[in-house]
Amino acid sequence: MNARMFAARVALPALAVFAVCSDGRAADFDWKKFQGKTVTFLANNNPVAQALLAYKDDFEKQTGMTLKVDGYQEQQMRQRLVTVMNAHSDEVDVFMTLPSREGEQFAAAGWYADLSAMAKNDVAKEYDPAGLSQALLKAATFGGKLTSMPMNIEGPIFYYRTDIFKKCGIEQPKTIKDVQAAAEKIKACDSSVTPFVSRGLKPAIAYTFSNMLHNIGGSYVAGGKSNLCSAKGKEALDTYSRLLRDFGPPGVVNYSFQQISALYRSGRAAMSFESSNELRTVMDGGARLKDTALIPFPAGEAGQVPTVIGWGMAVSSHSKQPDAAWYFVQWATSPAVQKKMALQGIAPPRPSVASDPEYRKWIDEEPVRKEWQAALDVLATKGSSEVGYPIVANPESREFIGQAVQDLILKQKTVDQACADADKALDALIAQK
Amino acid sequence: MSDAAATLTHDRQRLELSALSAPAVVFTVAMIAFPVIYTVWLGFQSFSSTGKQSYVGLANYARLVSDHEFWHGLWVTIALYVLSLALQLVLGVWLALVLFHAKRLPGIVRSLFISPFMMPPVVAGMMWLVILDPSLGAANYILQSLGLPPSEWLASPTWVIPTVALIDTWQWTPYVALIVLGGLQSLPPSVYEAAQIDGASPFKTFQRITLPLLLPTIVTAAILRSVDLLRFFDIIYITTQGGPGNASNTLNIYGFRVGFEFFNIGYASALMLTLTAIVFGAVLACNRLRGAVAW
Repeated sequence: MNARMFAARVALPALAVFAVCSDGRAADFDWKKFQGKTVTFLANNNPVAQALLAYKDDFEKQTGMTLKVDGYQEQQMRQRLVTVMNAHSDEVDVFMTLPSREGEQFAAAGWYADLSAMAKNDVAKEYDPAGLSQALLKAATFGGKLTSMPMNIEGPIFYYRTDIFKKCGIEQPKTIKDVQAAAEKIKACDSSVTPFVSRGLKPAIAYTFSNMLHNIGGSYVAGGKSNLCSAKGKEALDTYSRLLRDFGPPGVVNYSFQQISALYRSGRAAMSFESSNELRTVMDGGARLKDTALIPFPAGEAGQVPTVIGWGMAVSSHSKQPDAAWYFVQWATSPAVQKKMALQGIAPPRPSVASDPEYRKWIDEEPVRKEWQAALDVLATKGSSEVGYPIVANPESREFIGQAVQDLILKQKTVDQACADADKALDALIAQK
Repeated sequence: MSDAAATLTHDRQRLELSALSAPAVVFTVAMIAFPVIYTVWLGFQSFSSTGKQSYVGLANYARLVSDHEFWHGLWVTIALYVLSLALQLVLGVWLALVLFHAKRLPGIVRSLFISPFMMPPVVAGMMWLVILDPSLGAANYILQSLGLPPSEWLASPTWVIPTVALIDTWQWTPYVALIVLGGLQSLPPSVYEAAQIDGASPFKTFQRITLPLLLPTIVTAAILRSVDLLRFFDIIYITTQGGPGNASNTLNIYGFRVGFEFFNIGYASALMLTLTAIVFGAVLACNRLRGAVAW
């Protein structure tokens, strides 16, 4: 079900429920209800959490609660979470989660508290749960249970150098074929720059590759079986790997967002397909501010089906104080806090914040910010949250997608061999459920 | 005091000492024994992706035998171990000899020589990741300035193991050198005086006197480095995460990913216990060698 279908079938009825319910309870809502309690937040030390935690004191002042932050880098955060949850410990009340990656798995393991009732019955008047991105709420709903509230919206977008395009006589790419043609031209026109860069590090590939696959019209699963060896799947594998092999930087198989942003920011790449979250990093120093344009990744045979994901805040099913934990989640995903985060470059998962005058003023300060917001609007309306296989073992499925792409970049296998090996391993993963 | 009274006093003292040290002994044993026993227990369990657990006996160990990734990881682990250890021992002895003979070397230079191993491995990994970046790094810039072709370093399936071994060697050679330097300083000067009187050349002196006398110290350094090298993790995780492809996927990296990224804690425990057995085996072998070369 895509975002539009979801809006018609689920979101509109939900909107009505929210509208009726929240007004009825708003009068009773008291931010100080859990005064004196301590809520423990397991955070990924990324820009989203950093922007949020800059306002930690505001939360404590507003609620009278104490917020204990347990912050780690992403992988270490998951490591800690696995340990805590397997031990059925109540050490963590709230944790950050990527529903597109681990949502199925954590939901099946029973690690998420169901937020559906709290989001309906225990909300402040200004919270407006229906104002959050419906696509992201859908992506965080498993088996009818709402497992997390979205903190931001993000996805891979296409950054390109307008000055190099102009010098080489290239128009803005409209299709994936245009991207390939542009890369060819840049390679011939300016040998000092890398024509195209995107993710080549094995576990990171699925994030950008999924956009390519969906634009081309491919799917990960068909008839309950892995579908990488379908014609569209093979085309996506071939196109993605060829762009990186023939037009990417040396050593691209170790490239994730850090290397990509560093290469592009230094002026040594003409096109970059990387996360919208990297805007601030890419523009750091100002060198790319005037010569960069941003668009969603150009269309394939199936048009534009951008990847859209977002970090969410979940309440642990082992928390002994889920209601107090919900207050923190509610505060962190409220319009007021998300507006403050948006002004720090964290794309808001709320259309109302995106159209707020103060935010619009910030956006209008630089043309590149306008393009960034326009690209995010496309992600929000047309986006798919399918990054890797929609199965419980999603993180493991990303390994096999990445392996197939790397085998092709390194010329270790043919497309037929790479997709067949991947499909075999992925069929076994799918069968595990 | 009679013999009987002395024995009684002695027994009482022993009892008191045992009672006093008991809490520390119990605590230490518990801290070591509990994780090991728990890991052994986990190795007999199977955890589904959703965390559901069941007893599977030796199935995890049986799976190891047919797991291509396990054998590949073992090969990578051993290749890295042998290459890194050989480089570190040779260069460590050389560096120790330089430091031993260069008596006038300023303290700051000596400190600089040994500074890499004081750096956290994560920092070292990040630093080398930047230096060895094929597009932006200084390493290729230097190679090209010298008219040499650039390398893909950590991004090449062929070169990744030697490159990671070089990074580890850069970091840990000074540590080996420090141990060997201690050994050099404890060698009896009389042996060297006798060799000098007999007219032995510096090379012969090193070959016939220094090296044989240093062997127990070198083996001690080898034992210490063996334990670290066989469970080598941080620098690989920072620089390659086991890639490109699976080219640097050591058993430790593989076990970590199986356990904490794919949540199969049972199989990961079996992998890690197998690695622990390999580490024990290597240490026992080195200890035997140490006994054989002792003087």
